[in-house]
Amino acid sequence: MATRISLALGPVSAAVPGPLYQQIVDAVKREVGAGRLAPGSALPSFRVLAEELLVSVITVKRAYEELEREGIIYRRQGLGTFVAEAGHDRTRAGLRASAEEAITQAIRAGREAGMSDRELLQTFKDALKPAPSGALSHRRIG
Amino acid sequence: MSEPAIVVQELYKSVGTSFCLGPLSLSIPKGVICALIGPNGAGKTTLMNLLMGTGPADAGCVRVFGHDVATATVEVKRLAALVSPEISYRAWGTVGRAIDFVSGFYPDWDRKRCEDLSGQMGLRRSERVDDLSFGGRVKLSLLLALARNARLLLLDEPSVGLDPLARHQLYTEIFTFIRDEERTVLISSHQLAELERCADHVVVVNEGQVVASGPTPDLLSRYTELDVMLGRGELPEHAGLHLLVRNGQRARVLWDRADSRASVPTNNGALQIIGERTLTLEELLVALVKSKSAVRWRPRMGVA
Repeated sequence: MATRISLALGPVSAAVPGPLYQQIVDAVKREVGAGRLAPGSALPSFRVLAEELLVSVITVKRAYEELEREGIIYRRQGLGTFVAEAGHDRTRAGLRASAEEAITQAIRAGREAGMSDRELLQTFKDALKPAPSGALSHRRIG
Repeated sequence: MSEPAIVVQELYKSVGTSFCLGPLSLSIPKGVICALIGPNGAGKTTLMNLLMGTGPADAGCVRVFGHDVATATVEVKRLAALVSPEISYRAWGTVGRAIDFVSGFYPDWDRKRCEDLSGQMGLRRSERVDDLSFGGRVKLSLLLALARNARLLLLDEPSVGLDPLARHQLYTEIFTFIRDEERTVLISSHQLAELERCADHVVVVNEGQVVASGPTPDLLSRYTELDVMLGRGELPEHAGLHLLVRNGQRARVLWDRADSRASVPTNNGALQIIGERTLTLEELLVALVKSKSAVRWRPRMGVA
């Protein structure tokens, strides 16, 4: 029997918003984007990951299919599933797109609240100011 | 695709004078955890018993891994194992004597695996069956099923009396069991949140009939609950629309998108959609049972 590959992911839980398969997609992207899963690393089989997460095999399968469609992982018949060479960049591009989307939404919410462009800009500037160093260094771990 | 684990064709069985199961047809693929859900008295246990070949059907046919349950009785009982807190082993006095008795029936009994499992489950040979908790009875029944090389596990309400840790352990055992893609698990339960998470396939039964069946994500995306205003006072006649609750002109409607390309029939303003949301498995079961008079289960187009 091949060595069992394990994958450390964040929590996949009904207490977290979003469907379970999306949570798996996001969790794998997070690992790939942060470089904790390097290009070429092997992922566990559907059944092994399902067993680790106690989530149906079909949910894991759908999550892998989605990640494959987005070019973040690829499958080789009989060999297994691996992180794609371009997986890191694609994940980063995806994260960037969702950050831009979040900013657009924030602007829309601000306008609905009657904020002027100047006020919005000031809010962004305030938010961009570096956090106190203690909090930041604490965040960097992981 | 490979042959399904279970094929039921036009099964019919009357029980007493008031209940009849069927005519019922369904197919469950190999390598999956399948949930069998429905209200009390829907026929889940009757169906489980017929799958196990316990008692004859009045009509129709059940095949387990290709074997006809009515004729290949020994083969089916070798391949399938029923796990239920209702199975009583108290006649054997202790856990150890129950194990010794049951193991004698199965040439492929794995003594080592039995010892390992009873250690993990915390079942001691000397323990009296009568003193076992509800959870302990489930564990003993599960142990006796897993210590032999069964390919189909039928679990009838296995987790109802279990504490969260024991439930976690039960599901871990079930997932380990289906690591082998030739194996299949059928779980009948009312614990719908855990089944929504763990089951690959769902069969919904009501009043002895299958009202929906398919891969869990497909089933959950097929049905939507609509919050609507009824323009002309009545819900437009449409095969995919089923009234759930109505309050004046406002109504909640179950929308069955049997064809994934279909859009909601609004019939020139007869129906104004205010909101739309997906359902959890529990909400879907309630909706299907409430709208039972209207729902006629049709397999999705293009899917066998």
